[in-house]
Amino acid sequence: MLETLQNLYLGFSVALSPVVLLYAFVGCIIGTLVGVLPGVGPLAGISLLLPVSFGLDATSAVVLLAGIYYGAMYGGSTTSILMRIPGEAASVMTCIDGYAMTRKGRGGPALAIAAVGSYIAGTASVVGLMFLAPPLARFALRFGPPEYLALLVLGLLVLAFMSGGSMLKSLSMAALGLLFGMIGIDPMTGFFRFHYGLVELGDGIGVVPVAVGLFGLSEILLTAGQEKPPEVIKPRLRELLPSRQEWRDSTWPIARGTLLGFLIGIIPGSAHIISSFVSYAVERRLSKHPERFGQGAVEGVAGPESANNSATSGAFVPMLALGVPSGPIPAVMLAAMMVHGISPGPLLIQQQPELFWGFIASMYVGNVVLLILNLPLVGLFVNVLRIPYPLLYPAILVFCVLGVYAVNGSVVDVGIMSAMGALGYGLRKFDFETAPIVLGLVLAPMIEMSFRQSLSMSSGSYTIFFHRPISLVLLLVALGFILLSLRTLFTKVAEWRRKLGLEGEAETKEPGNV
Amino acid sequence: MKKTNCARGPISRRRRSIGMQLVLALMILPLAMAPSAFGQERFPDRTITMVAPFPPGGVADLTARPVAAAMERILKSPVVVVNKTGAAGAVGMSYVANSKPDGYTVLMALSSISIIPEADKLFDRKPAYTMDQLLPIALISADPTVFVVNAERPWKSVKEFVAEAKKRPGEISFSSSGVYGTLHMATEMLAHAAGIKLKHIPYGGAGPALTAILGGHVDTLASGPAVVIPHIKSGKLRPLAGWGAKRVASLPDLATFKELGYDIEFYIWAGVFAPRGTSQPVLKKLRDTARQAVNDPEFKSAMEKLQTPVAYMDAPEFQKFWDKDAKMLADAIKRMGKIEIKEAK
Repeated sequence: MLETLQNLYLGFSVALSPVVLLYAFVGCIIGTLVGVLPGVGPLAGISLLLPVSFGLDATSAVVLLAGIYYGAMYGGSTTSILMRIPGEAASVMTCIDGYAMTRKGRGGPALAIAAVGSYIAGTASVVGLMFLAPPLARFALRFGPPEYLALLVLGLLVLAFMSGGSMLKSLSMAALGLLFGMIGIDPMTGFFRFHYGLVELGDGIGVVPVAVGLFGLSEILLTAGQEKPPEVIKPRLRELLPSRQEWRDSTWPIARGTLLGFLIGIIPGSAHIISSFVSYAVERRLSKHPERFGQGAVEGVAGPESANNSATSGAFVPMLALGVPSGPIPAVMLAAMMVHGISPGPLLIQQQPELFWGFIASMYVGNVVLLILNLPLVGLFVNVLRIPYPLLYPAILVFCVLGVYAVNGSVVDVGIMSAMGALGYGLRKFDFETAPIVLGLVLAPMIEMSFRQSLSMSSGSYTIFFHRPISLVLLLVALGFILLSLRTLFTKVAEWRRKLGLEGEAETKEPGNV
Repeated sequence: MKKTNCARGPISRRRRSIGMQLVLALMILPLAMAPSAFGQERFPDRTITMVAPFPPGGVADLTARPVAAAMERILKSPVVVVNKTGAAGAVGMSYVANSKPDGYTVLMALSSISIIPEADKLFDRKPAYTMDQLLPIALISADPTVFVVNAERPWKSVKEFVAEAKKRPGEISFSSSGVYGTLHMATEMLAHAAGIKLKHIPYGGAGPALTAILGGHVDTLASGPAVVIPHIKSGKLRPLAGWGAKRVASLPDLATFKELGYDIEFYIWAGVFAPRGTSQPVLKKLRDTARQAVNDPEFKSAMEKLQTPVAYMDAPEFQKFWDKDAKMLADAIKRMGKIEIKEAK
């Protein structure tokens, strides 16, 4: 403990040195911008800035890149809340209730809650990273394909709790998303599936163009189709801050989101994206008023936003403690270290204490910077809503196209986004929710890969999922969820029968009265 | 505010990176690309684009950056690395293969350049590109893969490993960066040479493949030395042999497969290519520049930090090396055939 504090002192002496502080600040700003731009997510931002970091020393480089990563998580919420455009994949869930809050004139509070939730999650998860990194990282490594699959199955079950509308509709949307996820190279045999001669489809459909299309474009199209233009919301200063009730409603979602995000984040792979989906579903499930979700429930903003922020710190756990490239973004950061001649590995903490502790301390500092940066910006960002729609929407459209194109420099992605915009428009006209499509698309490739890897490992025997303790426990939890939802189904049926019975009685009585 | 933010937004990859650099303008001057004001008639009179067909942080990208920087210093004209990623590199490689052969678009490719056309043939696909669409300029690096096993497994030598694999065919597993990827090829070649059958668990990239063996979910892995050395040092992985003609400098005690009597050699190499049809003077200029670039001290120190050995070869030599390597890979793919058919048997 004392040693940790001494180390942290060392870390802060590194992190507060003017140069490192400057890069943390620059990283946070760039990250916020990257997050705000529709389509451009943290991976694209870090990838673009990686070459720039080669000219810096190792600590500054890592601090800069990490700043972009968690900065993007802060910034990603802005466009989701104000315009229903997910800045990156992790803020898809924020679109739903965040934008609903904006329509009700509570855009400012939603942004403020998102920033504060991100701050708390970011800081708390750094504490977790600091104290628990080595043991947690070893545990996280035990997540092989079977465990991963079990986790994803849990993620899939989340779908059932995700929407307030018809279960049939949301499950059919999820199925559509899973089908979209089938496009691309077969990971086990190398076959191309459904690529229609387009090499670009070999990697499958990206989440970003789909999310921007389904959420952003469809919203623009729907607004354009209204008979009267929507009223321009003029935010007033005193309405920028959340009310006491909103704070109270957000406390537990932020706490749960933080824990959940951190736990999902440490698992190697790309599962961190589902942290915000899972958090949303948990909050909806636990809420006393689930019907408020989708109509502007502050919990639906606080939980997912906290979750995606603490997942970023969680993702650093295996990277820093073991030198394992635990996801696409940590892999880029490890590359940045290697460029500086540092071999990332289990000995990093001992061999490069300034780097490790400087990095940890810079994350404390970075989160404070982001909070200071983002809270005043709330007032500024909200003013975007003052722009009349005939000017605002075409501009948004342009940014969507540019952002989506920029990620891979691919026109095919822009085409996918446009097609998804049209699809989203049609679906929303018929009251289908589009979030399950995105979740299905995120999950499908991961589920397929881990399922087939597991079966390869066991030479085709399904028992592998039950022989391994972690996957067994996760699957049992999943089974519990199913039973739980069945129970509500049974009670519903019983209620329905009772109601029917009563009505029947009433009807039989009526003729007697006459 | 939103608008002013976004006014700096993406127009193209390159423009945006300029935009980003504007943000960082004062700090990162070395990378800012000032257009050179040299004569218009000579090559190059504008920016050369070096396409890395893999994402930033991968071998192709990390090799391309110092090469491009050195070429820029020599040519006194900007050389920019652009990552055009997708479909295991096929997107970027076919982009260069089909671009205008004027020397302004070059490619930093890895060994997998020879694999994709063969795999396309195997599946009767319209090929994304063919190898004769590209001309080799220079081989930059060649890193022999090393064979590592999870340290908790009992095998201390290739002999013990092969003996066990013969006893339990198809039970010992290996991870790879993806089906028909370089790491898959390396292990398949070993399996063929040793007459053993191993269980393949493909992952989506070299990073996840490494994570899998560290977590003990697979038994073995073929990998570039730099990424596994820290884990060898910490005792999590045990190296059994290397694929090079010579021993790996940083692992002097590690025997090569050739020494152990297996006639296999495998390198993850990186080389520069130009589209076929590029004129001779331009090709010569590019070759000369590459030769000078590999002797550039800054380039050398960058590669040293990456622990990647420079293995320069000029175009004629590189062409021979490439032909041999491509034939070896093509044979391996033909031997392996379609994986589905194999599993169905």
